[in-house]
Amino acid sequence: MKNIKIIMGKELKRVFGDKKLIFSLFILPAILVIGIYSIMGMMISNVSSDIEEHKSRVYIVNASDSVKSIIDANGFSKVADIAYYTEDDFNKNADVIHNEILEETADLFVYFDKDMETKIAAYKNQGDEIPVMKYGYNKTSNYSGAAYSNFNEMVKNPYQQKLLAERLGNIELLNVFTTEEENIVKEAKANAEFISQLLPYMIVMLLFAGAMSIGVDAIAGEKERGTLASMLISPVKRSDIVWGKLFSLMILTGISSIIYSGSMIVAMPMMAQMNGEGMGSMFGGVSFGIVQVIELVAIMLALVFLFVSVIALLATYAKDTKTAQTYVSPCYIVVIVAGMLTMFSAGGEIAIEKYAIPIYGNALVIRDICTSEVVLEKFGASLIGTLLIGIICVVAMIKAFNSEKIMFNA
Amino acid sequence: MIQINNLTKIYKLSAKQMQKLQTKKSKKIAVNGLSLEAHEGEIYGLLGPNGAGKTTTLRCVATLLKPTDGSIKVCGFDSVKEDTKVRDSLCFLTNEIKLDPNFSPEYMFDFFGRLHGLSESELASRKNELFTVFGITPFKDKKIMELSTGMKQKAAIAVSLVHDPKVVIFDEPTSGLDIITARSVTDYLKTLKERGKTVIISTHIMSEAEKLCDRIGVIIGGKKVCEGTLDEILAETKAADLEDAFFNLYSVHGEKQ
Repeated sequence: MKNIKIIMGKELKRVFGDKKLIFSLFILPAILVIGIYSIMGMMISNVSSDIEEHKSRVYIVNASDSVKSIIDANGFSKVADIAYYTEDDFNKNADVIHNEILEETADLFVYFDKDMETKIAAYKNQGDEIPVMKYGYNKTSNYSGAAYSNFNEMVKNPYQQKLLAERLGNIELLNVFTTEEENIVKEAKANAEFISQLLPYMIVMLLFAGAMSIGVDAIAGEKERGTLASMLISPVKRSDIVWGKLFSLMILTGISSIIYSGSMIVAMPMMAQMNGEGMGSMFGGVSFGIVQVIELVAIMLALVFLFVSVIALLATYAKDTKTAQTYVSPCYIVVIVAGMLTMFSAGGEIAIEKYAIPIYGNALVIRDICTSEVVLEKFGASLIGTLLIGIICVVAMIKAFNSEKIMFNA
Repeated sequence: MIQINNLTKIYKLSAKQMQKLQTKKSKKIAVNGLSLEAHEGEIYGLLGPNGAGKTTTLRCVATLLKPTDGSIKVCGFDSVKEDTKVRDSLCFLTNEIKLDPNFSPEYMFDFFGRLHGLSESELASRKNELFTVFGITPFKDKKIMELSTGMKQKAAIAVSLVHDPKVVIFDEPTSGLDIITARSVTDYLKTLKERGKTVIISTHIMSEAEKLCDRIGVIIGGKKVCEGTLDEILAETKAADLEDAFFNLYSVHGEKQ
């Protein structure tokens, strides 16, 4: 145990004694995560306000007095510069208008059938002529899309309602029944719906990312530089070297994942801004009791142990850091996919055996912790499954450390 | 003392290694039935061309490699069954084993001293002696990566000797060093010999072996082809100096390989 502590001390000093390493491992990722989400949030916010401030350029053909009065009454004339065209004007300028919308110098044209209201009033029986209203807009243009939806909301829908009311006398005739809905769900689950889907994925992904950046260099890097051999020539058991490395990596990964998680929490408001939702609605009502916190910490520690031992094992078998990276990268993809699987589960009872599958089972438990639905047996299965695979990796790593073929390429 | 008895080391070659060595054989005999003894208070020199098996032999003694056949005893401990005790009894210095360049010589000295179970007072005393002998004291707090090649080698020697081992194994200890640094290393090896340590070195430098070694073993193609004091080797090979003796031996045994 004394030797394990000495080796741990050296490994931790290697990182904490190097300002550049502290910056690149702990500070830079935090700056990047917060920076990226800030910029994304800011840019999306800029785009929305730019669209809101933009005054649409709209051509309306054959607008009746009734349409014009709705346009003025509902304020569409305030958000758009409108050019009213007659049928003849339109026929003469159809190509110009089309090109303007294509080049995004105009946003929308709306064509009402000639004598539209007369035709609507003349409609009596099935098969009679139904007049046409045509739109022309550019779906790839944000301004054009906004003009289209504003016109629909402020002009077309009210106009349609007005005409239907005139035809039917009582517009309620269109509603044959009304519907009422009741959401029957556990309060904790309802409150934690968003976070219970996102958190498992975020935790497994961030923990692996933290372990990956540190673990590869600590083993494969030292092997490549010939500094690991200096420890192998000392009278220390190979298992002590392995445990010393693993414990220090677990501590560093833990710190790294705390920093990643903290950065994500700071960056969340930017994500919320993108969705137009506040933090409250995303994390609303989720509160962890002491038992849940202990369960979450236990699962996270088991995951850190698993990730560190898997990465360290692969790095041990690799000749250099480059090879180790190629071994570890596919594992990262597997981890991301396993973490995401909980997002797409259809619900219902999940068998206890599935909880014993490392990463996937851990993600399920984290989801259950968020929704206060943890079953002790499933929690235990997840913990044991993860620790078991981690221990197998450690045993394989100790064996590899004793192999001259692997350590010295002999 | 070191007793090597009929040591054989065979490497299994991977397809890639076979391709690199341009051979169809899946095995390479690096050391073939080698026996030798190095005694306390003696500097034993291993001479041989590149690929003769010198480093493999020394690695087997240092427990980094396991013999395919034969046995090695260091201070009475078996290199396979009692490998931890063997490692505690010796130090092994080779170009392929390096100190972590991100730490200072002092930190590395303390780190390995603690791994060897030295007390703080023993550490301080050993550090004072070795750092003074090799002139490391002014550079003890600098990162190893910032040191000159010579100072790196001196730091590596000092750290390897932290636990005052009974057996000292240096694989080409003066390789790449300037004449001043090389002299300080060979002088210290003589001091170790005077203190009763068993010293084994491998070297390419004939003049170094002539001046330094009490006995010399010449290895060619994994086999020991000659062993004795300088005078005994010169008499056996009818040569004027060690370089001529080596060429004579190589012309006889090297062509058989």
